[in-house]
Amino acid sequence: MSSSFFWVAVLCLASSAGAAEQPSVRGKVFNPDISANFLGLGAWGSAVSDDPLQAPHRGLSLQEAELQFVSDVDPYFRASALFSVAQESGAAGFGISPEEVYLETISLPFVTFRAGKIKLAMGKHNLLHTHAFTFIDEPLVHQALLGSEGLNEVGVSAAVLVPLNWYSEFVVQGFSPTNDVLFGAHASGELGVLGHWKNLWDLSDDFTLELGASGVEGKNALGSTSTAFGGDLTFKWRPSVGGKYHALIWSTEYLQSHGVTGELLGGLASWVQYQFAERWWVQGRGERLGIPHAEAFQPQYKASALLGFFPSEFSGMRLQADQIVTQGKANSDYAVQAQYIISIGAHPAHSY
Amino acid sequence: MKLLLIVGVLIFSNILFNSQAHAKLNVLTTTTDLRSLVAEVGGDKLTVESIAKGTQDPHFIEAKPSFMLKANRADLLVSVGLDLEIGWLPSVIQGARNPKITQGKKGFLEVGPLVKPLELTVGAITRAEGDVHPLGNPHVTLDPIRDGEIAVAIAERLGALDAPNGAYYLDTAKKFQARMLEKTSAWQKRLDKIAVKKVITYHKTLTYFLDRFGIQNVAILEPKPGIPPTSGHVLDVIGEIRAQKVPLILVENYFDPTVTQKIKQEVPTVRAETVPVAVDGASGMGSLENVIENLVKTIEGK
Repeated sequence: MSSSFFWVAVLCLASSAGAAEQPSVRGKVFNPDISANFLGLGAWGSAVSDDPLQAPHRGLSLQEAELQFVSDVDPYFRASALFSVAQESGAAGFGISPEEVYLETISLPFVTFRAGKIKLAMGKHNLLHTHAFTFIDEPLVHQALLGSEGLNEVGVSAAVLVPLNWYSEFVVQGFSPTNDVLFGAHASGELGVLGHWKNLWDLSDDFTLELGASGVEGKNALGSTSTAFGGDLTFKWRPSVGGKYHALIWSTEYLQSHGVTGELLGGLASWVQYQFAERWWVQGRGERLGIPHAEAFQPQYKASALLGFFPSEFSGMRLQADQIVTQGKANSDYAVQAQYIISIGAHPAHSY
Repeated sequence: MKLLLIVGVLIFSNILFNSQAHAKLNVLTTTTDLRSLVAEVGGDKLTVESIAKGTQDPHFIEAKPSFMLKANRADLLVSVGLDLEIGWLPSVIQGARNPKITQGKKGFLEVGPLVKPLELTVGAITRAEGDVHPLGNPHVTLDPIRDGEIAVAIAERLGALDAPNGAYYLDTAKKFQARMLEKTSAWQKRLDKIAVKKVITYHKTLTYFLDRFGIQNVAILEPKPGIPPTSGHVLDVIGEIRAQKVPLILVENYFDPTVTQKIKQEVPTVRAETVPVAVDGASGMGSLENVIENLVKTIEGK
């Protein structure tokens, strides 16, 4: 907690010092774009923990606050820092942690280099911050294989736009493997390596098809090598006439890993999102954890339904219901979650 | 390792080939209106393509990776600015990995700030007022006089990038500007003859057009920018239509026009028309002259 207060104090001081020393408009134009996302959560059901020291837990909670600062540094680099304020695991209090803090090149043709603490390009979901999750929670397979924080490591990255007739990007990343679940929190001097290939085709003005593949490996705490492989497929429809009111997205992501235990475990999540009015979405997701499954592991199935209402670009409310079936367990588990998402500050540029 | 080397050689030879293959300037615009202006100025000396379709709301275009690919190959990116494209263009530029079209470079041109924007915000502003544009209303291309000024600005930038054709670009832009000046005078005379002096619109898309031709925009169907019409607000608008005897509602054709049915039930005398507000927004709208001519005809009731 003391470190949390330290960071908050640093941010507040930096902000007030900036205001004091740069009273003129000319000074302020060089301030970074500052924005914040606040996520509130209400969760109930047998699949939700009763322990208030766990997040999420039954009842109402502040799920997360994200503070983001983005600015060009000079003609060569842009810097971005996103700090997450969330309940610390096993504690009632909140902590602040650097979710992503990196610099990236802005003046090189065909390639973007990035260095810092980054969300690694392991498929699609792993790149998302909490406020941008497709559903309120992450897919089962991501929780099981990469942990609740995902694959988020200190490293360097090169993303090359491959000069083909369709959009094709190849990403290579080198990082220090510290992920608790995949690498057992190992922090040696050795580097892990990740490769990601993303391809997207415009099938027409209204339809796109995206296909991606990812692979990662790194030394784990036991001295052996942990590996993970992923594939993703997304089909998107937004008509160029009437697309303000209707859209359909169907996305599927598969992930498997040889983690610290050395056993092969994988899972699949597939979801459909349909926009049926300007501000309304309905979504469904089906998941299976355990393709393939380790001997000691009981496969799980999960079905989720979500209704989302977004009054504007800057606010949203979502209601989600889940059923989880664990093989060998007599009864299913259920959860109902309600979430609000608020964005303030600089207007974000949305990704596709 | 050998495979990686071969792939690397192929990629960089392709980059080299692509960078040398384009003799003509390759221009990318954010909207079809800007594409039309660039094509008017550049003729066959360049190739030009638009990211948004004329049927799409330019505030809410998705940053498709295929747009990044187009931006990667562009020599010039022409946008409106004034925050019109703020929700998507930064992602396109970032993903393009093309230093020629980044802000501050010759290949990056924002035309909106160059043509005296209207509705500039003065004083404090909050998002409680909706999706406001603090730098001014960005729908500048529906004013034919500003279109002439934009054409000249585009010509000057094209000339800076392609000096041998600089005189050609400026000449065609000046001719277009003169033509729009002449047409504006004719459109004004036609609109002066009719009784429609007040209209309702769905969004503040037609601000520049209406301001140019002296027509008052009495109310907006959106209660606040970016917020769909609510029942209470529609009742307020109906009150305004009755009180001010507004004869015409113009709905930009990427918005849902069904709200006007309720208004017409309450005020049968009001005329409601759905209008394209961008080049290629409907068939026959191949140029800004077509779009503005169609707006004038619609107001005339033809």
